[in-house]
Amino acid sequence: MKFKELPPVKEQIRKCVRCGRCRTVCPVFAEVKNETVAPRGHVFMVQMLRDGVVKPDSKVYEHLSKCLLCETCSTFCPSGIDIHELNAAARSFITENQSNPGKRLVFDTLWTSPKLLRASTAFMWSANVTGLMKLARALHLTKVLPGDLPKAEQILDRVPFRSARDQLHETIPAQGKKKLRVAYFLGCATNLLHPEVALATVKVLTQSGCEVVIPRDLKCCGLPHIANGKLGTARSLLLHNFELLSRAKVDYIVTDCASCSSALSDKNVRFVLGQEEIDANLALTAGKVVDLTAFLVNVLDIGPGNLVKRSEHRLTYHDPCHLAKAQNIRKEPRELLRLVPGVELVEMAEPDRCCGGSGTFALTHYDMSMKILDKKMSAIRNTGCDTVATCCPSCSMQLAYGFRRSRVNGKVVHPVELLAQALP
Amino acid sequence: MDKRVLKQEMLKILQPEQVLADDLDLMYYSYDSSFLTKLERVYPDIVVLPRATEQVQRIVRFAYENNIPVTPRGAGTGETGGAVAFNGGIVIDLSTWDEIVEVDVSNMQVVVRPGVIHADLNNHLAKFNLFFPPDPGSSLMCTIGGMVANNASGLRAVKYGCTEQYVLGLEVVLPNGEVITTGGIRSKAIKNVSGLNLTKLMVGSEGVLGIITKIRLRCWPKPKARGIAMAVFSKLDDAPATVLEVYQAGILPSGIEILDKSAIKAVNQFKPEIGLPEDAEAILLFEVDGNAPSVEWEGTNIVEIAKRRATKVEWATDPQRMASLWEGRSVTATAAARVRPDGSRVFAGEDISVPLSRVAEALRAIRSLGEKYGIPVVNYGHIGDGNVHTAPVIDPENPAEAEKANQLVHEIHLLAIELEGSTTGEHGVGAVRRQYAELEHGEALKVMRLIKNAVDPKGIMNPGKLI
Repeated sequence: MKFKELPPVKEQIRKCVRCGRCRTVCPVFAEVKNETVAPRGHVFMVQMLRDGVVKPDSKVYEHLSKCLLCETCSTFCPSGIDIHELNAAARSFITENQSNPGKRLVFDTLWTSPKLLRASTAFMWSANVTGLMKLARALHLTKVLPGDLPKAEQILDRVPFRSARDQLHETIPAQGKKKLRVAYFLGCATNLLHPEVALATVKVLTQSGCEVVIPRDLKCCGLPHIANGKLGTARSLLLHNFELLSRAKVDYIVTDCASCSSALSDKNVRFVLGQEEIDANLALTAGKVVDLTAFLVNVLDIGPGNLVKRSEHRLTYHDPCHLAKAQNIRKEPRELLRLVPGVELVEMAEPDRCCGGSGTFALTHYDMSMKILDKKMSAIRNTGCDTVATCCPSCSMQLAYGFRRSRVNGKVVHPVELLAQALP
Repeated sequence: MDKRVLKQEMLKILQPEQVLADDLDLMYYSYDSSFLTKLERVYPDIVVLPRATEQVQRIVRFAYENNIPVTPRGAGTGETGGAVAFNGGIVIDLSTWDEIVEVDVSNMQVVVRPGVIHADLNNHLAKFNLFFPPDPGSSLMCTIGGMVANNASGLRAVKYGCTEQYVLGLEVVLPNGEVITTGGIRSKAIKNVSGLNLTKLMVGSEGVLGIITKIRLRCWPKPKARGIAMAVFSKLDDAPATVLEVYQAGILPSGIEILDKSAIKAVNQFKPEIGLPEDAEAILLFEVDGNAPSVEWEGTNIVEIAKRRATKVEWATDPQRMASLWEGRSVTATAAARVRPDGSRVFAGEDISVPLSRVAEALRAIRSLGEKYGIPVVNYGHIGDGNVHTAPVIDPENPAEAEKANQLVHEIHLLAIELEGSTTGEHGVGAVRRQYAELEHGEALKVMRLIKNAVDPKGIMNPGKLI
């Protein structure tokens, strides 16, 4: 698909009236405060790229990469421009016009193969002692993500020895009467870094009467590729995954990762495929995708029923951008938290303000990411809570680092972990 | 001047992060919200982001000595090309200088630097039960410096007037680098008729006389209660007639806004949850504020009056509903584009101001001009003071449509003058309406130019704008 023919590029650039409303909500703009990082500035630069006024080179990429793709501006834009899609499309256009072997290695080889990714995290587990830098150098990551990696190394805490996939069968039967057959889209980060979340998800789903299938050959959802200028790779990953999911013959496709559910959403599928309308079969499968929190509340209508074990938690909730902005899912995670006996939910100021993690952004723009994180941590601190619930592994990693960085003994949990703990 | 030399000179005054000199960085300063800057792209030679009077002074003095054009800029939300450097030179971006220097509660005044955002200022003042009443639709993003330079007003001008009524004094860096304080060096007086009124001269001068670096504003006590009445009309003419009847009943609302049929459609497409009635030719929003009994009384009477002509009237005092209705109005400016799937609203000819008695005539004439050129025009605005915003919706990347839109806009400007009004009520002249200055002001334009030449003999301050 040609850059200029992509629907957002073709249809939306002209709609920008440069009113500047986007300047008021952009977390990056709030730190830099000049027009070169304003969302409308990104739209303008994508236009310059489209019109050939600027060349698709690394300098333009560098400018466009100062964006979290958090979608805050897109939801706030009165002209209805998907600014994040324009930006992502432009990154891919530039990458296609440049040769970057390191980037190819990471995003086309490593991050498309679950086995290789697993192998590299196993290596990371052993490298926990010697440091991430050694690994990064071995993988040429330093060339792909230059500059900030030595500092960003600290963000990654510990890497668990056993992935979730190692601990879960491909099909897990429902407990009690089977109500639904559900595919669990186990994302890379949850699988490798937060297996405890995956185990909790499976426990809650099966105890709620779902037969859970985790297709063996599922690959990455493609979101890291979209963010890093690899739209083509994201496209093949997506088609591969949907093919598998369609063969699984399930009622729903559920994921506990906000980024994965947004990547698999109907809207994103259309963007990645570069089509306004998608194939009916694909649309049918994409239509089955639902974020775990929305699934539990809106489909299973989960009630206090079996949630019998009480544990006292005074906590606050952080809205992941890919859940709140990309999918407008805000009330469901909160509803789930309130169901758990002993949980007191305290709202922080601007709960949907980006934490600055945003996948690989924290690695490529460490200092900026930390400034954005500081604001989030201060909002958390003001609640007096030392536990934060959130539904995204990237946010989770970033917030946990926020606690460590400010030497606070805080904890980050997924709501489903608390639900699982409350079950008998 | 060689760009590298210019950069070196600026780095003697500012920190590296306050200087943008890279070609790519400069491109981002080629636009504001105007249609003109979508069609034409011009770049400054350098952008500087000072945060101290002394820095501004040194930059301007250097520019003066070297005959370099200087263009002051706030948030770049203007609609006239006023903050764009058509002659190259230095753009002074003041939007990062956003310090609220002092809230003087006992004198009900506030002193700010030019980059403070309007909404931020009012959020801060609310802590002291004060507010700065002018309320532009761009409150969330526009700067106070930009408001003062353009004498902005907005949704509450009916009762509270324009920015000029609240400016008590200014610190201004003149084109030769000298710094003056208008309104009296030490004066905090609310009433002050001493000397020529340089404050009023500077307010609305669009940066052609100097750069505003500090602003002393008068604030008012924040009203304790507020209510919004929405009246729905099946005939366009019934809207201005109702406005007149409300005034005649002795009621002065804080805002009276109109949205025509296409504006309603646009808002509903952007924010369906607001749920404006679709089957209407126009709706009016009356905002009243004050103390609770007076708000209730005024609201009840507005509803009674509006019922005579309206098909439906709603009275809201629930904060959520009010915020939603008011937001509906404030996003109309940009949401207008939604009336045409492949279209965009262009900011051109968008700000005419006509006498109250001729508002209906103006709206009808604009509508038929739109039909003449085959361009949908969304109408909305501050009907309470005759300031109508018109939004032509076109495909701005189609040169033929752009050309037609410019012809339409020219006719709208001429219409305003013919109806004994003005080409601009609050957005300013900038580069886009300068051609009408002679028609609007006649001999007075010569005096304006005499003043400009006296203050800026080298013509370096925001050249190509206003006069």
